[in-house]
Amino acid sequence: MTSVAPLTSPAAAGGFWRELARQREWSIAALIALTVVVVASVNRDFLALDVFRNIFVAAAPAAIVGCGLTFVILTGEIDISVGSLMGVCAVAMGQLASPSYANLPVPAAIGLTLLLATGVGFINGLLVTFGRVPSIIVTLGMLTALRGATELLMAGKWITDLPAGLRFFGTGRLLSVPISIWVAVVVVIASMILARNTPLGRRIYAVGSSPSAARLAGLSPNRIKLFAFTLTGFLVGVATIVSVPQLSTIESGIGAGFELVVVTAVVVGGTSISGGKGTIIGTVLGVVLLGMVRTVLVFLKLGQEATYWERAIQGGFILIAVLVDHVTRRRGAEESS
Amino acid sequence: MMQTTPAAPAGLAVTPRSRFFEGGFPYWHEVVLAILLIGLMVVAGVMDPRFVQPRRQLLLSTHVWELALLALPMTYIIVTGGIDLSVGAMIALSGVVLGLTYEAGMNIWLCCALALATGTAAGALNGVFVSLVRVHPLIVTLATLSAYRGIAEGISSGRPLSGFPDDFSWLGRGDVGGVPIAAIIFAGAAIVAGVVMWKTPFGRSLYAMGYNETATRFSGIKTRKIKFILYTMSGLSAAVAAILLVGRRNTAKADIGAQMELDVITAVVLGGTSIFGGRGRILGTVLGVLLIHETRKFVEWRFHNDPLISVVVGALLIVAVLLNSAFTPRGRE
Repeated sequence: MTSVAPLTSPAAAGGFWRELARQREWSIAALIALTVVVVASVNRDFLALDVFRNIFVAAAPAAIVGCGLTFVILTGEIDISVGSLMGVCAVAMGQLASPSYANLPVPAAIGLTLLLATGVGFINGLLVTFGRVPSIIVTLGMLTALRGATELLMAGKWITDLPAGLRFFGTGRLLSVPISIWVAVVVVIASMILARNTPLGRRIYAVGSSPSAARLAGLSPNRIKLFAFTLTGFLVGVATIVSVPQLSTIESGIGAGFELVVVTAVVVGGTSISGGKGTIIGTVLGVVLLGMVRTVLVFLKLGQEATYWERAIQGGFILIAVLVDHVTRRRGAEESS
Repeated sequence: MMQTTPAAPAGLAVTPRSRFFEGGFPYWHEVVLAILLIGLMVVAGVMDPRFVQPRRQLLLSTHVWELALLALPMTYIIVTGGIDLSVGAMIALSGVVLGLTYEAGMNIWLCCALALATGTAAGALNGVFVSLVRVHPLIVTLATLSAYRGIAEGISSGRPLSGFPDDFSWLGRGDVGGVPIAAIIFAGAAIVAGVVMWKTPFGRSLYAMGYNETATRFSGIKTRKIKFILYTMSGLSAAVAAILLVGRRNTAKADIGAQMELDVITAVVLGGTSIFGGRGRILGTVLGVLLIHETRKFVEWRFHNDPLISVVVGALLIVAVLLNSAFTPRGRE
């Protein structure tokens, strides 16, 4: 294998501005900057360190899982089971660590949670690749089954006695930055290196761009897809460990709807749902943009009613992103769909 | 029911075995579903005869009709290779519009008309994005899933809206000679949908689109117009389901129909419709809906265990498709 598709599409004949708009990362970064400026001019309190820390803490789990999901979508597949998987991991972790259930030491509980998450991701991958079941079906089935498994495990109860050692992963800070942000930064940087600078990363792009060409080039699309699904499962485990202990109670509703947030962020970040095109940094910017909406609505002082519009605005972002794509897309490229 | 007539009895008589294994007998998926359904009912009947009483079955069936109604346009859409994730959100939006306009003092039937118009418009917007802007339907309907439910939450501020008049609630709760109104609406819609898909050029072109959309467009079929119609129909069905649902519960709230899209898609895929398009029948969808419904109700009835049902349904979906793909020749995908 010599070279595969570059990170962004080759320069279009459409000129500088069109090219700039085609690089989704810049338009989202500009949109985030514009939002910050507008909100700060309405309400000075927005420009506080605490506000941004809260935005990033809230966005961290989606950023961590978003990295894995970006790889899955780059290979042309999808995983909508991440929310349910987070729920089952949260409950498993809670019950393993809680004194009133298994009462295992915290490292053991964390290790087993990661193993569970990775295992489910691996099963997803096996069913998609060697079972030849479409990924939307596999992960839809998993979404339903894992949600049921979570409720079976909880049996209508809540876990309230998480050990302090576990709570530290959610509430602890290192150099006054919350643990979850550190972990998210590490995951994002590692994923960027994986995507840009390793043969495996380039092969993921190759498989997504053209599975048949990748196969002719001697790659195994199945093994690469299996890797992407397993990685996503593992990262869901990581996200669970750093985000769920922020709460003092664990109940069975954790992670519900999380899959939509993550898929939305990845797509807003410019990753093509048909695979082969997209970047980690785009996903991270998408996560931050969507994660800001609620805080921004509060700081714009539009009253309590305004926060009910959060989801409508998030949905609007995807439609806008999609329209921008349509307007800037080269004419020759669009008939391929 | 009408689709079970054997496709080519003469052909089967000549070389039955090879025809069968090459997929010559096209209804094996429906046969498997019917056997599973009958098996389930027999087991249920033996374990608890009260479960299979017709009167009990009708009482248990109140929730299924809205889901079944949505599964019809979803079958069309998935057969063309598309998907509609926003049906649950369109129910919420139509339901909330119904509640708000009634609260504002309008005539209840005018409110119903407005709810139908809202659902149709929401579906049409999906259709515009899919057919004109040509965005992947998964993305479009994922976006509108958030947007429509968000608008429903926004305009109602998340409040429950209730206090509907009795003659309206009758739509959701009433019956004609023991058969629920919703069941009659569904039966009519299913027969029309089945015949249209089976016998009309429009119905056959859906399969063509699912196999090869470009070739279908080049052969003169207006694929974009068809897609627009399908997504609009999906919105209209969601609005009808919303009216039935709000009538039955006598409450409209922005969270009605949550996660319903997953149940609907599960039923359609379980019914044998290929998620890649080109394959699927209304009869299979009806059987898929019934199988999920009866499994769910039986587990509820017998074990009083809701979460277990999700595990069973999720596993059922994966296993059904796994078996389906194991029986499909490799080249077909």
